Amino acid sequence: MSADPFHLAWFAADGFGVKSWGKTFSGRGGQDWADPALWIDLAQALERARFDFIIIEDSSYMPDTYGGTSEAYLKTATATPKMDPSVLAPLMSHATKKIGIVPTMSVSEHHPYGLARTINTLDHMSQGRTGWNIVTGSNDNAAKNYGLDDWLEHDERYDMADEFFDLACRLWTSWEEDAVVLDEATGTWGDFTKVHTVDFQGTYFSSRGPLNAPQSPQGLPTFVQAGGSPRGKKFDARAANAIISGVEGGPAKMKAFRDDIRAQAALAGRSPDDVKVLYLISPIIAETDEEAWAKRRRQTEFAEAHPEIGLLHLSRHSRIDFSQWDLDEVIPEGTTTNGHRQQLEQCIGKTPRQILREGFGQGNFEIVGSPDTVAAQLDEAMEEVGGDGFLIASRDLNRRYISEIADGLVPALQRRGVVREEYSHDTFRDNLLAF
Amino acid sequence: MTKPFHLAWFNSFAPPAWASPFAGDAGNEWFTGEYHVDIIKQMERAGFDFIMFEDSTFVPETYGGSSEIALKYSQHAPKLDPMALLPILARETSHIGLVATASTSFYPPFILARLMATLDHLTKGRVGWNVVTSSEDIAAQNYGMDKLPDHDVRYEVAEEFVDVVKQLWDSWEPGAVVMDRETGRYADHTKVHPIHHRGKHFAVRGPLNMPPGPQGHPVLCQAGGSPAGRDFAAKNATAIIATNPVISKMKEYREDIRARAEKFGRDPDDIKVLFQVSPVVAETSEGAKKAHHQRFGALSHAQIEQTLAGISSTTEIDFSQFDLDAPFPQDLKTNGHQSILDDFMKRNKGKTLRESIEERSQFGPPIFGTPAECADRMEEIVEEVGGDGFLIMSPSTRRYIDEICSGLAPELQRRGLVRTSYPQPTFKQNLLGH
Repeated sequence: MSADPFHLAWFAADGFGVKSWGKTFSGRGGQDWADPALWIDLAQALERARFDFIIIEDSSYMPDTYGGTSEAYLKTATATPKMDPSVLAPLMSHATKKIGIVPTMSVSEHHPYGLARTINTLDHMSQGRTGWNIVTGSNDNAAKNYGLDDWLEHDERYDMADEFFDLACRLWTSWEEDAVVLDEATGTWGDFTKVHTVDFQGTYFSSRGPLNAPQSPQGLPTFVQAGGSPRGKKFDARAANAIISGVEGGPAKMKAFRDDIRAQAALAGRSPDDVKVLYLISPIIAETDEEAWAKRRRQTEFAEAHPEIGLLHLSRHSRIDFSQWDLDEVIPEGTTTNGHRQQLEQCIGKTPRQILREGFGQGNFEIVGSPDTVAAQLDEAMEEVGGDGFLIASRDLNRRYISEIADGLVPALQRRGVVREEYSHDTFRDNLLAF
Repeated sequence: MTKPFHLAWFNSFAPPAWASPFAGDAGNEWFTGEYHVDIIKQMERAGFDFIMFEDSTFVPETYGGSSEIALKYSQHAPKLDPMALLPILARETSHIGLVATASTSFYPPFILARLMATLDHLTKGRVGWNVVTSSEDIAAQNYGMDKLPDHDVRYEVAEEFVDVVKQLWDSWEPGAVVMDRETGRYADHTKVHPIHHRGKHFAVRGPLNMPPGPQGHPVLCQAGGSPAGRDFAAKNATAIIATNPVISKMKEYREDIRARAEKFGRDPDDIKVLFQVSPVVAETSEGAKKAHHQRFGALSHAQIEQTLAGISSTTEIDFSQFDLDAPFPQDLKTNGHQSILDDFMKRNKGKTLRESIEERSQFGPPIFGTPAECADRMEEIVEEVGGDGFLIMSPSTRRYIDEICSGLAPELQRRGLVRTSYPQPTFKQNLLGH
């Protein structure tokens, strides 16, 4: 017995910044970080492996939560520098034909009109392969770059996201599909009776419209989101086509998460099959299981020798300074945040050392082994969870890791018949919803 | 001997001349950016300093109170976002500068600073920003405002915007990135500084979350005509684009900009004023003359409509209300491009609207003929004006681009008037020659 076919996607953690550098197989990753070549290689390799899409994560501030200074972030190039993914995306789609490209853009930083226009342009340029990873912003340093002291309170940010989403969708469909007529006989390019203002007046945004460009091949881009909190899930259930989810707690919890999302989607009047839940994993792969576990041990030793690296992310996402606790001190009940709630809640009652050892986000679901071993593990997990696939993430991104996945793991999954061998459609959403 | 001058191309990420007999499939294919990839390769071969993408973010409704004419002729709409096109063009070329337009009224400065810095990396030092303040309330309404601030306030906002953006580009000191494998240190936090800007219009903490690109500050491009606009341009711009069909006025404008630049303590040679022209090039003088007349003389109904609709959306005055054969109105007021409107009224005093738009339909002094004749004319103009070059603007087909890039430009190159190579590593250095 095998799982039903499932999807593969890539989560480019830490965005368009410094990837692997200074390590054995980093290549020129440090010097050439601003060159898009690694990203183009990533897109081409993953298209060869028939991935559905690549998310380019993003945030637009200099983090300083850990220890109240940017020192450790800059020292380790953690979460900074990051460049704007909206201008990396066209390079990745220009070099490929089928894979979806998903830049991250925040509803707290952009005006809906500007964002709708950028995404519409990218969908035209990629011929229907653009997605939008919807984020609401969490760190107050970002708010301060945009003239505010802080973002709205957590749940209200999602109210704003709802409104942003509605307005953007209105703008994307403000031109009817057949508004461009290209009639040479009458010299008519477009039919103005098919282009409509949106005249939107909301609590947070207003816009007259129409968008100043026709509908793009997908009409609406493919929507990706990662809300794990109750309010975030509610947003996902109505808006998302793909959901980024953690695997904390293993397949049983993963299944519960997915069942909940599907039930909420049905309540929101959508087909649950139109919402794909993808789980973040970072498989450790080598030629044999033994070598893979040896690699895993080396990674653990490195993490234990550099505990701050793991805590840097946790601090900036949760907006809680994890340098305030000793590595063996339990994080007390009652610690709250206006940042990422789900992540913080998973830390309470544990010590920083414990959190690090578990490998944050990986929980007790360790994926280590030869390509065949890992393929079997993923197959088994998907069978239990019910769907819909995995998002591969690696902070230490280099070409060697890309190849281990694209040329090692994926062929092993294909041999089991659980991932696609060919794309069946031309646009991103059609491929994503094909099974 | 005329000193060498610069060539640039004025463009939009918009449909090319799709109904032209030489449009090919441009009406359908432009969305992907492939058309622009083709034409920019031609321009780089021809020694152009840069391609500039103007931009706007609305569907015009001024002319006749509806979008009918604008959409019929794809005029001012649609336009796709030029920021997304630039990386592709950079990937397919090596030297030519790439300028995108962005409005200080609609972008948060942090996004714009970051976008430009990212593009400066992606182009390896070849990006420019054409700074506009926007002049259409209908665009402002797309961004949640009822109307734009008054003209001079917009320039005040633009000044602060540019100041903030420059501070963000400077927020990483040179040498901040150390990349020391031994200590595992990527960057030195003592060389990365928040800017803590609190001004009248913007509050920005900073620092930028990335180091600046090879140019540090991308090339700033501007098109100010009013006194406030001219001051802004003289203070901030490296390239200025200007439109005037009268050669003495071109000279006057350039000298005024240079004088203002000196007043701001800048070397006037660090600003290049480029004038819009639409050369008509053909194999024979006769053919060129005929083609020029077809394009700019005896205007057809469609040409008149397009010209008036264009003026209407720039000035926010509905020109469909005026009688074509009555004297040109002299009492028009706008919160849009007032300087363009003033100039337009002044120039056309005593003419009818029909007469005036014949002149308006071409943007610079008439240039037509064989490549050699056009080159002669351009040489004369630069000689009289004093510099610094031209911005070619014309309905776009591959054929027209080829006429300029394989006909006119090589002739200018043979005369030593236009570059044949790009000796410097960045756009700014090539433009300034140092």
